[in-house]
Amino acid sequence: MSKNSRPRCAATTKSGRPCKNYALEGERYCWVHLPGDEQPSPSPEVETAPDSSAAFAPEAESGPADADFTPDEIRQLRAELLRELSELVERLRELQPDYEPPSFPMRRLRGLFGRLRPGMPAALESQLVELFGENYQEEIFNPETWKGLWYMVHYTVQYQADFLKRRVTGEYETDEWGLDWEFVEVILPFFEFLYYKYFRVTATGLENIPDYGRALLVSNHSGQLPWDGAMITTATYTEHPAQRLTRSLYATWFPTLPFISTILERGGQVMATVDNGTRLLEQDELVAVFPEGYKGVGKLFKDRYKLARFGRGGFAKMAMDTQSPIVPVAVVGAEETYISVYKSQTLARLTGFPYFPISLRFPWFGLLGLLPLPTKWYIDFGTPISTDAYEPDAGKNLVLVSQLADQVRNVVQEMIYQRLAQRSSVFRG
Amino acid sequence: MRKRKILVTGIGGYWGSRVAQALVQNPVYQVLGLDTVAPQQPVPGMDFIQADIRNPLLVELLKSEKIDTVYHLAFRNTERPSEAAFDYNVMGTMKVFGACAAAGVRKIIFKSSTAVYGAAPQNSAFLREDHPLNGSRSHGSIRYLMEVEAFCNGFRRQSPEVNLTILRFASVVGPTADAPLVRYLRQPVSAVLMGFDPMMQIIHEDDVVDALVHAGEGDYPGIFNVAAEDVIPLTKLLGLAGQRRVPVFHPFAYWGYGLFGSRGLRFTRHLPIELDYIRYRWVGDLQKMREVLGFAASHTAEETLRQFAEQRSAKKPVLEISVPASYDADHLRETIERRHVSETQAGGGESLEATDE
Repeated sequence: MSKNSRPRCAATTKSGRPCKNYALEGERYCWVHLPGDEQPSPSPEVETAPDSSAAFAPEAESGPADADFTPDEIRQLRAELLRELSELVERLRELQPDYEPPSFPMRRLRGLFGRLRPGMPAALESQLVELFGENYQEEIFNPETWKGLWYMVHYTVQYQADFLKRRVTGEYETDEWGLDWEFVEVILPFFEFLYYKYFRVTATGLENIPDYGRALLVSNHSGQLPWDGAMITTATYTEHPAQRLTRSLYATWFPTLPFISTILERGGQVMATVDNGTRLLEQDELVAVFPEGYKGVGKLFKDRYKLARFGRGGFAKMAMDTQSPIVPVAVVGAEETYISVYKSQTLARLTGFPYFPISLRFPWFGLLGLLPLPTKWYIDFGTPISTDAYEPDAGKNLVLVSQLADQVRNVVQEMIYQRLAQRSSVFRG
Repeated sequence: MRKRKILVTGIGGYWGSRVAQALVQNPVYQVLGLDTVAPQQPVPGMDFIQADIRNPLLVELLKSEKIDTVYHLAFRNTERPSEAAFDYNVMGTMKVFGACAAAGVRKIIFKSSTAVYGAAPQNSAFLREDHPLNGSRSHGSIRYLMEVEAFCNGFRRQSPEVNLTILRFASVVGPTADAPLVRYLRQPVSAVLMGFDPMMQIIHEDDVVDALVHAGEGDYPGIFNVAAEDVIPLTKLLGLAGQRRVPVFHPFAYWGYGLFGSRGLRFTRHLPIELDYIRYRWVGDLQKMREVLGFAASHTAEETLRQFAEQRSAKKPVLEISVPASYDADHLRETIERRHVSETQAGGGESLEATDE
């Protein structure tokens, strides 16, 4: 599966926010906001309905309960609906040429209704009349309506079942690192929620990331759990015009964890070794590193925003060997998501964790303590530091490597201080 | 034109007979097969010599036959380390290589496995041939392969005139091979570790034979990882092979494995080597194979597995052959002398014919 680069709908919802649905093929709007022939502005009912039943909302409107419509208009609307349904069926057939909807048991349904009608409660009967009008049986038994609904439900169910079935039968694609684009699309909504709603991330300087070609993001690391890596990846994937998926290099501890190791790998993240980073950059990927490592992520609250030692300079060697530009990244806000006051050596050894933070909430409140505080985040992408000027074998010169590493560290620290000076509140920014 | 003489050890085993069958197709080669048991299917055009690889007279056989290339494929696969397996696999290989150096053999080709790198969380995604060998020391085959490879390092320094090629193959899959991963796939169900889905690398059995034959055609001293180009997750591998899987929570799996060995996993007895090998990544880097060895596998991993799924019910795996540990020195001496006499006679016959003309 290729990168999903469909544009979003250009309309504004009733509540004044930009619509988040994808636009229809060849249109500027999604199916909710697509201006119809009769209705320039969609009705609120249609707009707020989130599920598939919304597609049939015009049908409901066409009932005699809505006095605004003349019988002519109703006929027109019905014709419109039938046209849309056949279009939908066409489109489904294009997506899956071998898709054959099962035959619809019209006669059995009609018989069932006929049997049910005498025993129907009066309230339900009157509701049906209100919804569809006097001759509701005609509406309900309109085979085209039901066929469309049936197609849609069946297709949706089949698509979901097919997705799961292909996981079992192995009919899915990954790249040589284990990245699975379908999986990325599945987990993306969760990270979009964290990004837009929970941490309300403000990302600046995204233009410093090239649209294509290699680049190395170097960021500060903090927050006990690596939410900062996830948010940097979400920022470049959802906000960068080229939808670049960042390949973050993660610590040796994660491959030992069930589920997390698999989620990271399918999400395109890679274990941190110099070999892996160099190979990714040679493949012109966007790579993110956190040179502080465990020292950074396990930082105590009193040490927040003070950069720890930048590893052994492996990232500088990677950048020099592959002549990749280094983009310094400052993440502000992540360092207050957990208030860690102490690191327990004994508990770390007992649990096998690389560090065991004692925070105000962890481990006292159990898993609740893992919930990060909803701080306001800033992710600043700085001006790229070019490595073109270095000789091809400069990576072997340890003096140059450590100089470059120190230079990047100073830039990141400076960017953090600048952002902190502008910030007035931890939670409101 | 003088034929190139090739000795294949372990001819009674699967790989020995497969490679010999491929080698006899080439008219330039004269192929000799060495083992204590004859190959299950006779190889036309090959001379079979019945002897143990540890036979001290091996050097004389190599000298009198003027062997140019030795395919050392005699290796006894075993899950548990044992003295007998050590004696055959490690001491046997040392004796064969020593005899080759003494008899002036030009080239040795040895078949190893990428499992010698070991599966570990700190592994790079693609392991190059110079990666340290941290394979499992509790698994017999892997342990002895690592010991042989360590010996090969020293052998290369001691006898630089011998061209030693080591091919490290990924897990073999195919309709006829009896390999650890094939046994894992042939069970009713396969155990996987819950939440772990490492990327796996495999190779088709025919590509193993092709690579070994290819390595004999030129001079490629050194070590090469050999595998299919595509790397796929374990769950996809099982899915494509049509195999059902049982997820086991990993602390329980390790606990059971520690207490009862592979029997700890009950009805899913077989693992591709050990639990770590279905938990962490151990994928070899194929750059050297492509660029130095100039070899490319003709089957992708996906094709191999789809083919395997189709054929899995059709064929039973080849049984492992037990090798008696007898040093039948006298028998080999008779063979060498008999062959020597017949060769000189044949040579004389040829020269007589020549004078007739």
